[in-house]
This record gives sequence, C-alpha cells and structure tokens, in this order.
Amino acid sequence: MRPFDFYAARDSSDAVALLAKHGPSVKVIAGGTDLLADLKFAPASHHPKVVVDISRADDLRGIRETDAGLRIGSLVTHTEIMESPIIRDLFPALVDAAHTIGAVQTRNLGTLGGNLVTAVPSVDSGPTLVALDAVVTIAGPDGRRQLPLAEFFVGPRKTALKPAELLVEITIPKENVGKPTHFLKFGLRKGQALALVNVAASFWVDWDSETFLNPRIALGAVAPKVIRAESAEKFLAGEEITTDAMAEAGRLASGDAKPISDMRASAQYRRDLIAVLTKRALEGAYELAQKKRKQS
Amino acid sequence: MVTVSMNVNGEKRTASVAPETTLLKLLRESFNLTGAKLGCDVGDCGACTVIVDGKLVNSCLMLAPQAEGREVLTIEGLATQDRLHPIQKVFEDKGSLQCGFCGPGVIMSAKALLDQNPNPSVQEIRDGLAGNLCRCTGYSKMIEAIQTIARERTA
Amino acid sequence: MATDTKTKTTALVDAEQLLRVPSAAPLVPFPVDVQVPDAARQTPAVGQRATRPDCRLHGLGQTKYIDDMYLPGMLFAKIKRAGVASARIISVDTSEAEMTPGVMAVVTGKDIPCNSFGPSLKDQPVLADERVFYAGDGVAAVAAVTEQIAADAIEKIKVEYEELTPVLDPLESLKLETPGVHAPSANIYGHKIIKKGDIEKGFAASDHIFEASFRTQMVEHVPLEPHSSLAQWDANGRLTVHSTLGRITLGRADIARTLGIPMSRIRVVATVVGGNFGGKNEITTEPVIALLSKKTGRPVKCTFTRPEEFYASTTRHPLIMDYKTGVTKDGKILARKIRLVLDGGAYCSWSETTLGKACILSAGPYQIDNLVAEAFVVYTNKTMTGAMRGFGAPQVCFAYESHMDDMAKALNIDPLEFRLKNVLSEGSLSPTSQTLHSVVVRESLLQAAQRFGWKPKTAPEAEGAFA
Repeated sequence: MRPFDFYAARDSSDAVALLAKHGPSVKVIAGGTDLLADLKFAPASHHPKVVVDISRADDLRGIRETDAGLRIGSLVTHTEIMESPIIRDLFPALVDAAHTIGAVQTRNLGTLGGNLVTAVPSVDSGPTLVALDAVVTIAGPDGRRQLPLAEFFVGPRKTALKPAELLVEITIPKENVGKPTHFLKFGLRKGQALALVNVAASFWVDWDSETFLNPRIALGAVAPKVIRAESAEKFLAGEEITTDAMAEAGRLASGDAKPISDMRASAQYRRDLIAVLTKRALEGAYELAQKKRKQS
Repeated sequence: MVTVSMNVNGEKRTASVAPETTLLKLLRESFNLTGAKLGCDVGDCGACTVIVDGKLVNSCLMLAPQAEGREVLTIEGLATQDRLHPIQKVFEDKGSLQCGFCGPGVIMSAKALLDQNPNPSVQEIRDGLAGNLCRCTGYSKMIEAIQTIARERTA
Repeated sequence: MATDTKTKTTALVDAEQLLRVPSAAPLVPFPVDVQVPDAARQTPAVGQRATRPDCRLHGLGQTKYIDDMYLPGMLFAKIKRAGVASARIISVDTSEAEMTPGVMAVVTGKDIPCNSFGPSLKDQPVLADERVFYAGDGVAAVAAVTEQIAADAIEKIKVEYEELTPVLDPLESLKLETPGVHAPSANIYGHKIIKKGDIEKGFAASDHIFEASFRTQMVEHVPLEPHSSLAQWDANGRLTVHSTLGRITLGRADIARTLGIPMSRIRVVATVVGGNFGGKNEITTEPVIALLSKKTGRPVKCTFTRPEEFYASTTRHPLIMDYKTGVTKDGKILARKIRLVLDGGAYCSWSETTLGKACILSAGPYQIDNLVAEAFVVYTNKTMTGAMRGFGAPQVCFAYESHMDDMAKALNIDPLEFRLKNVLSEGSLSPTSQTLHSVVVRESLLQAAQRFGWKPKTAPEAEGAFA
C-alpha cells in the first residue's frame, strides 16, 4: 500500500481532534474491511496522507437500552451484533442482516458504523435500521448532532458526514424497540456476496383489528441509496393483515424501486425479486409478531 | 516507521515497520511466519486468516499498528514440538488439503469454529469456512475432517 | 542511463530498505517430524491407504511456496501493463522511474534478446515492444527495494500509444475481411476438420433436424497462489529461477530462447505449487526478472496481484458452438454437423491442443456415423486463452449435453432413454475412427440413474422428477 501516517485515537473526542488536525487528506480506520480493500487498488489521488485508527476508542463500543431507545455504538462489530442477547431478543432482523455480511473473519473486524459510512447502495445493515427509523449521532469539532439514518445516506458512497466528523452511535427510537421486523437479502451466493436486492419490513400489529400499524418497508440495492417503499407503506397502513395484502405490498414496492441493470442482474429481475422478498419479509415480521404475542 | 510489539504464538515479537504495513506483511516479512498467505490482499479469499485476541480475522485487513499489544495466533502456533494439533492430524489423515495454499487459513477457521461450537452442524461448518476459498478440494474432506474431530471430542 | 544510487539512497531511502535484509528472526525449531514416504512399503500401491506426504507440511504451515522465499538483498519487480487492447507503441520513457529512489533497474521490450516465446506458436513477446495486443500486455518492468516503490515507479513510466481498433468478437475475427490482429498473419490461426460418413445422406434420412447454438464464457483458474517467480545469477553466470511454473522443461527452453543463453546455463526449480489447473503451464515474468537480476546483481522476485491473475494470465477459451443434428422420430441420431469457434485471445498459448481436443470430443460419447466437426481458433485483442482443466472438453460437453436435452424434450422421449439409444459401446468407432474399448457409458448412466432415483420424463407436466 502507498504510505500514510498513522495515529491511534484514545476515544471519540481524540478521534475528532485528530481528524480536524490532519484533514482534509485523512481517513478513519475501524475494522479496515472496506478502507484497506479500497486503498490497495485505488489510484494515488484517492490515497490519504493520514489514517486515524478508532479501533481502540472504547466509548464507541457497546449496545444498551437508554431513555432514547436502543443505542448501538458505531464500533460494534457484526459479530457482536449477532451475539448480543439484547439484539437477539429485540431485533432478530439485525442479527440476520449482520449474518449476511461477508464471512466470519470480516464480521469480526467489520463495524456497524463502518458499514453505514461506506454507504454503498446495497449496504446490508441499512434497510433494517431505516425501517426502524434509526437515528445517527455524529460528533464533530462543533459538538454532536443527530440525523435520521435515511438522511444520513446521501448517495452511492456518500453520507452527510462533514470534514472531521465521526459517526459515533446509532439509536433505534424507544417507540420502535421490539417492533417486529424481518430482513431478507438476495445475493448470487450465500456468503461473501453483494446484494442484488435487500428488503426490510417492519410493522406493529393492531391485534384488535388484525391490521398493519405503522408499516415500514425499506429497500436496498435498488436505488442510489436505501429507500422506503412509500406507496407500499401507504397501502398497508390500516389494511387487514392477509397474504393478499402482503403480495399487493410487494407489487407496489417493486414500483417504488429504481433498480438498474448491470452484470449481476437486469432491472426487471430486481423488480421481480422485490415483489417476492417484500411479501416474504412482511410474512416474516408477522410470524415474529405472533411469536412475541404468545410469549408475552 | 513505527515500532510494533505483540505476542505472537506465545512469544513477544517486535518490529520496526512503515505504518501502512498490514499484519499479514508483518508476520511474513518481519517475523518469518509465512504460513499466512497473500491470496488476494482484500479479505476475500481467507488465505491470510489468523486469530487476534481470540477472534478470527483477515490479517491483510489489519494494519500492523492496530495489532500492537495484542495476542496473535498463527498456524505456526498450533503444533507443539512432538504433536500435531488435532485439526492438523485429522486433515492429514483425511487428505483434506491438496496444494495446501488455503490450508493454514482453513485450519485457523476450523479451530475458531470448534473453539466456539464443539459440535457444529454441516451448515454451521460451511458458515464457519465461508471466508476461506479453496480451488483444489471442493471442501468436502475439510467438512468431514471437522465433523470427525467434533465426534471424537464429544465422544 | 546511469543511475546514481548512492546519492539517491542516502538522501531519500532508508539504508535498511535498500539492503532489504530480512529481519533476523529467531530460528523456529521444526515441530513434528516430517513424514517421509517409505518407497518400499508403498509399492504395490493399489489397495493401500496412502496419505499425501506433503499434507503434513501444509497443515503445519511450513510448506514454502515461491512467494514465501525471501533472500538477502532481494528486489521486487512489477510489470507495467498496457491498459489498451490494441496499439502501436510510439515511445517508452522510463527516465522518471529510473531516477526514483529505491528503483534499481528498469527493462523494456527492447532489452529482451529474443522477444518471442510460446508453447507452440512463438507469438508472445516477453514485454511488448512495437505492438500491444491486449490490455494486460507488459510494456516495461521495474525492480525496486520494496513492492510499493516498484508499483509507484511503473506508474511513472510514460508510454505513448497509437491506439488501434481492437477485434473483440471472435465471430468478427473469423471473417476473412477483418484486419488481422497479428497482421500479416491471418486471424484464424488454427483449424481442424473431422469428417466421417456422409452427413448429407444422414440428414436426408432424418425425420427431424435440430439446430442450436451454444456459448461459453472466459473463465479464470483463480489458483489461490498467484503466479510468482524468483531469479538470481551465480558467479559463473548461471541463472536459477524458482517459479510456480508447472512445465519446467518447456519453461527452461523458453527462458533460454528469450534470453539467448544455452539451456545448460539455466536451472529452473519448481516447488509445491499453490494450484495450477493449467494456468501455470508457460512462462510469464521469468525472463524479465532474470534480466532485472542481471542488471542489479541481486535476486529479483515478482508475484502477480490478484487482479493481474485475471487480466494478465491465461484463461479458458470461450467457445461458440453451432450444432445441427438429424434424428429419426424414435430418437436415433443419424447425422451431426458441428462448427466450433474458439476465442483464441491475443496469443496462441495452448490453443492448438485445446482446438484439437474440443473438435474430437465435440460429438459427445454418441454413436454418430455421419459427422462433420470443424473447429477454428481465432485471434482477438483479449487476455490469452490457454490450458485449463479439460482443455476444450468442458465447453463442448455443455453444448452437446444441452443439445441432447433439448432434442429429447422436442421428441418427447425421456432424456436418459434418448442417450441410451445413442451412446457408444464396446468396439464403437470414435469420430476419428479409432476403435474404442472399455466403453462404459451405458453402464455409468444406468448406475447413476439408479442412484439418483431417476424417473422417466416424457410429458411436459412431469418436469422435476425429484419434486
């Protein structure tokens, strides 16, 4: 790799200070699974003068319930998400999503924050969190700010991060903690694969009327960034929970998407996938809702 | 140049390297531990797999200074002077390796899997090896070997 | 151009980097005795349980592959690749690279004593010197004290190209009016035709004639171990090359030819290779690193990056396969006409053998008395297509077996039954009229059918015998 200077940050404020001091030609390394793969074959113009290592910034770790909701530190790895008892209980969809990323080795290194900041259109941890109205906390030289994750993603490999800013945590709002959610990814392989389509479906069940309450459908890999299938959501709100409704939502979601044709699949194939996977994701969320109801 | 120190296979090792040096390069060129291989350098093939602080990782995706002060276990740290590690023994008995290039990485992954899950199902074995590519064997004898070890241990 | 290494290195490069002495790592005592096979005990081998002797060292991580070799003072070489599919080289300016601290030598195509080699046709240059024939063609090479310095240095080499229109479609290349990729040589550089019986009579007697066209894609071997070689000279002017090369005698001959030195002065050492599959059957960088080693007086190693494995090493031939088969209504094949077009890439490599094998095997394991199989291999401005497990057999197998399935479906005959009606048997004549013995196609199919639980499929509704 081309040379760079290296500084290890003690914590998030130290990291922000280092980014401010050494910018603009500075990059953050956490797990390194995206950054190093990128730098090794990238042109010289792309190469940073300085790399700031945040892998030891312990204040960016941890998963805990707070007054605001469920807080996940940006440094939490995909493996930690899969093994976290809180997440396994409250959000099995996040476990599923983490499991679809790379392989054991990359999940042990790769972080949730890194996955979100790289912001590829097919970002695997994106749709579930967008469906759950997740909010990101960003630390910068001027202090901290918050932003809905859906707005944090700006475009392919572009986020709302300003120079010297760092993603510090992701929070699922209190009102969505425990909301039944299901995530499905379709890739050309079962492991180490890019998604052709990602779908996350999330809704509460109004048990009195057996209708969809606050439905959310988030799609990945079918637009420049993660999007919500708004016409499908509008249709489902208040609609009776039936297989037909789920199928109809799938069809509508397919229309909400803007997939491209590339070497992996045609746009039409992706639209077909969205219809099927949206229906299945809705079914999965409903199963989860029923299971939780039985348990309580 | 930065000085990095870490515990490799139970021994403290130190080297002076450029900060952009990967852990893989450090192991191979500074510590003469050439078991971990460079197959792709981007974390796809798993030939560089080692265990850092008990976690299976692609050493080509870690910077040497990130491994400062950590415990690193490589393939060279498994066998003792007079005994093969059970995974090495059963891989040999079963003929699980052909050209051998993926071998060190696969064996480290097998070790990490069995340490965490002593009796894995076939699907769990496949999942545990998903980050290690092999072009020679088709993986079937590796899976058999891991199942054999699991059976022998739980027997 | 003389390079003042002394000034460069003291000013800008670490002394340690210059010498590149591997860190004095403590000797690791060799764990566990290496298993030495007892030759006396291993013959007769049939029926004996034999463990691979190399498995011990593989499992220990002790097997030394070429890239695991680090010699004192060793330099690292990188090749500058053209990046254009077809071009005339107008000029190559290596001056900036040569002045870079840590760069010890540079070579271009002009430095190669005899710039052509190949397993059959000697049409491949060691480094392109007047013409570029595919984007992965090497145009210059650098040896430096670190891999990164070498990689940076090749980017500083300025090459002026006159870009030419590349030929990328093998069917275009097949046309006689298409300009020759290697003009004045024709684009069709290999041809084979097999004729048996009388296909016109065969087709005339057929109840149905089926035509189909099949294509297969370029495939890369992806050995886990990238191509790697290491060259050094001794005090008597003899060259030793350690290489991942699979065919060392052939390689030695090509190294001798390209360097213009007798074979007796060349020693090629091949160790355990990390996967070959046909992709390491000819030389790649060996003559280049030999020259760099000679210029610098130091060992030089060159290892391909994974991307180079894809675009600069040989691949499997894509094939375009046109089949025309005449059958009776109850499924007996009477005649078959085949045309194969092999995408032969920028250089011949193993195309001639692949052509021959594909052509002979293209009829499939079926008794066909009236046959014409004609195959062409053509140049295109793409990565070399060479040897890869099967050598043309997998491609044609895909074609003739798909064809059999399509015909069975159209004739409403069970695909297994259709095959059994036509397979070769003891004493059958091959397409080239060789009498075949130990023919077990029928038995194999029947055994397989039994083991798979094959149920006859004759009606469209019966799709999915395993449902």
